[in-house]
Amino acid sequence: MNALVSSGVVTVFYIFAAALFVLALAGLSNQTTARKGNTLGVVGMVLAVLATVAGLSGEGALVATSSMVAGGVIGALLAARVAMTNMPQLVAVLHSFVGLAAVLVGFASHVAPAGLRGAEAHIHAVELFVGVFVGAITFTGSIVAYGKLQGVLRSKPLLLPGRHALNLVLAVACTGLGISYVISGHDGGTTALIALLLMTALAGFVGWHLVMAIGGADMPVVVSMLNSYSGWAAAAAGFMLGNDLLIVTGALVGSSGAILSYIMCRAMNRSFLSVILGGFGADEGKAPAPSTHLAGPQKDPVAISVEDVAALLRASANIIIVPGYGMAVAQAQHPTRAITDLLRKHGAQVRFAIHPVAGRLPGHMNVLLAEANVPYDIVLEMDEINDDFPTTDTVLVLGANDIVNPSALEDPTSPIAGMPVLHAWNAKNVVVFKRGKGAGYAGIENPLFVKDVTKMCYGDAKSSIDSILRALEHLYPESGKKSGVV
Amino acid sequence: MPLPCIGVPKELWPNERRCAATPDSVQRLKKLGYASVLIERGAGAAAGFSDDSFTQVGASIVDTNTLYKDAAVLLKVRAPDLTEVKRMRAGQLVVSFMYPAQNPELLDALSTQGVTALAMDCVPRITRAQKMDALSSMANVAGYRAIIEAANVFGRLFSGQITAAGKISPAKVLVIGAGVAGLSAAGTAKGMGAIVRAFDTRPAAREQVQSMGAEFLEVTGVHEDGTGTGGYAKEMSQAFIDAEMALFRAQAKDVDIIITTALIPGKPAPKLVLADMVDSMRPGSVIVDLAAEQGGNCAYTKAGEVVTTSNGVSVVGYTDLPSRMAAQTSQLYGTNLCHLLDDMSANKAGDRNFRVDFDDEVVRAATVTKDHAITWPPPKKAAAAPPAPTAAAITSAATVTAITVKHAAAPTKAKAHASHAPSGLPNTAALVIAGVVLLGMGVWAPPAFLAHLIVFMLACFVGYQVVWSVSPALHTPLMSVTNAISGIILVGGLLHASDGLSRLPASTVLGALAILLATINIAGGFLVTQRMLKMFRRGES
Repeated sequence: MNALVSSGVVTVFYIFAAALFVLALAGLSNQTTARKGNTLGVVGMVLAVLATVAGLSGEGALVATSSMVAGGVIGALLAARVAMTNMPQLVAVLHSFVGLAAVLVGFASHVAPAGLRGAEAHIHAVELFVGVFVGAITFTGSIVAYGKLQGVLRSKPLLLPGRHALNLVLAVACTGLGISYVISGHDGGTTALIALLLMTALAGFVGWHLVMAIGGADMPVVVSMLNSYSGWAAAAAGFMLGNDLLIVTGALVGSSGAILSYIMCRAMNRSFLSVILGGFGADEGKAPAPSTHLAGPQKDPVAISVEDVAALLRASANIIIVPGYGMAVAQAQHPTRAITDLLRKHGAQVRFAIHPVAGRLPGHMNVLLAEANVPYDIVLEMDEINDDFPTTDTVLVLGANDIVNPSALEDPTSPIAGMPVLHAWNAKNVVVFKRGKGAGYAGIENPLFVKDVTKMCYGDAKSSIDSILRALEHLYPESGKKSGVV
Repeated sequence: MPLPCIGVPKELWPNERRCAATPDSVQRLKKLGYASVLIERGAGAAAGFSDDSFTQVGASIVDTNTLYKDAAVLLKVRAPDLTEVKRMRAGQLVVSFMYPAQNPELLDALSTQGVTALAMDCVPRITRAQKMDALSSMANVAGYRAIIEAANVFGRLFSGQITAAGKISPAKVLVIGAGVAGLSAAGTAKGMGAIVRAFDTRPAAREQVQSMGAEFLEVTGVHEDGTGTGGYAKEMSQAFIDAEMALFRAQAKDVDIIITTALIPGKPAPKLVLADMVDSMRPGSVIVDLAAEQGGNCAYTKAGEVVTTSNGVSVVGYTDLPSRMAAQTSQLYGTNLCHLLDDMSANKAGDRNFRVDFDDEVVRAATVTKDHAITWPPPKKAAAAPPAPTAAAITSAATVTAITVKHAAAPTKAKAHASHAPSGLPNTAALVIAGVVLLGMGVWAPPAFLAHLIVFMLACFVGYQVVWSVSPALHTPLMSVTNAISGIILVGGLLHASDGLSRLPASTVLGALAILLATINIAGGFLVTQRMLKMFRRGES
């Protein structure tokens, strides 16, 4: 080995890189430091890569550099091209790359003799096996998540008969293969390779099947769970290669993803296990209690025209906008921001209420609103704003459904019973923007739509919002005039 | 099971014009499934609802005896007096204002008679029960009427005008106590063109007062939060009261009209407008004391009367302000009752079934006697939900922030934070098991592995601590950053790529592929995060 620097120096760089990664995550704790955090992450990564490359022999460095340049270009193009509404898909597909890379590293380790004996060899074999297992699950799982988010695959959960038993059998089979792999040792030739390949295939199937069984509405949990897995895969690779930086980074990412999943699950009042085992929304055939006892007899939703919505907004001093995935799909965030600006200029208080699981990624709505230049200090979390609905004149529900469904509180038989929701119905007026008359993502009837305060504005969210914007501009002919708030 | 027969007797209380039902509320009851509604002859007359108007919507007009004999549920406004209780029979149910704390002998009479009684004034002030909150309904109207009464006695216009006949200066109105009634009064006076100021010991009232277009007055030098329970204020410290008195003394010289609405639950109304303040007011000034029934906020107040002081200030102590707008208040009260009866007969299975359900928080709190037993006060519940006066009940379209909104938010936040660090310490069993597993590893595993394990464990804890502080708005950037960072698997690829094509071709090629994928991840992840973060901006304000 004719490395440029000694392994001691490389390790020091690794320490720096690990510290920078921790600081990068800490920087994300609020908006003002977030960009600095990201930069620190980049610096950490550059240090880590430089140190590793400098520690390599000549020939390896060449191969590595060419791969890196190619990968860097592809990654940069992806990042520059992606629309903010497609962010969930991008994140999912990037997770699959980490998973696949972990599998490849595992196989590379397998074919490269490590020259270990006894317990060390066994431990190495276990590490390798676990790394490939987690990597393969991450890979196929992320591909399926991508497919569901992109709309290539149906978002409805696919429920194979006896899927829990199937998962159990597969887990047992993988453990068995693992034991045979460890015993034969990774220098054990074909037996070991076959065991490893077989397990990879099984793990791939498990990843596919796990995510297929999870409904589209649970995607925030799935994506953050896969994020966590990609971390654990990296950590496993770290153990396998005896590389502390990989271990530290993998653990950071793994615990971060796990916490995010936990936060999302809590936001939906469901246990992590029930989300992972899937099947949510499958019991939609079961009729929820015939309306709620508060709503009285079944009524039809009342429609409202865009002109009336504009007039309503003009007469409102306090407005809350509740965005959901529908806003993302319709790309309605830009006209929404224009309306917000117009109303704010004329003295109304306009705020956004973000439910933790709105959209398909944790924090998805925040990113979209930020893209549309909505200032983040009027974008509030559920807990911050939920008590303000009774004093709100008008609530606009933009392509959201389950997160404003009162049956979560009122109807104990509802599949979303107990899930914290935005109490939009406490406002004086609620306008729901909706494409058609169907139920929400989770397939649950929404009694909000038939409440006395609620009006429905049917149609594509973007064109509706556009028309409202035009109508409002008409209502505010000269901007010098003070608002017409009563 | 058919729903019980409803009976609405005529109110016996002197000068009580309200009626517990209106043709409109009878229609609602019918819709809810209460097929039979009996109205005592002439019950609605004082409120402007003729017997005919009731029969037109399907109610039966009956005499007193038939009513008490046939009705299973009696709806009243005022608490039943002892002669009315005598007419009732065991098992009958009566709903009205009761004020159980002030009327212990009424509770005794009702329980001896075996009558189940629900007090509308005991309906808890929680969100779900807002539609049954008759106190707020009445207070809202009382606040409006207080201004009307003041305007009636006041010899001048409210709004300022410059006319050919000279300048009219606007009336200045001071509202003390910005509860539902106070806010309603402030909004009404503002709507009539007066200059309105309001005072309240609860800081949360500031926004609500301002939203009505009134000026919020504050005492100087003393900071104290007067927020009590149930949307009421608590008693304040002596220092605060002194400062408050100084403020009122100064205001009394300046304003034309004072509306006082200060009540502390279960205690006589605090004396806030003292004799010397009234004496310092200009002749022709008016004080309307909405707390007259509880002893009054003003030293001169006589319940039910208008007192004119020696310097020509009128102190209005009417205790029947809601009753003076009987058509409106009957309508509101009737609707509150409909909502209560709706709740009491709601059934998950769809068919309606009337019952006094003690598992229902609202019904439990309102029920003061049941089956020969006094059930008041209800057992204390752990920290009842903070009260919110019915914002919807305020007539003006302007907004009123629910009184304790800010304070309600605080504990929820604190709770959220507490649960953010869910049990920093795992339970003992888990620790023991982990210890045994680690011991086993220590015996068997090589030291290098254990060193890595230490690093791994510590990194997990660091990640756990750091990530909890990430703001939810940044969860997507967090994910794409961690995603980019997990591209560190690149290092694994690098180590293998260095195996060399000639020496170990398979491992090198696999490593190179891994590098390619991981770099896509790193570049993509960091760049897209950068793109996202650039978009977050603070508002101009």
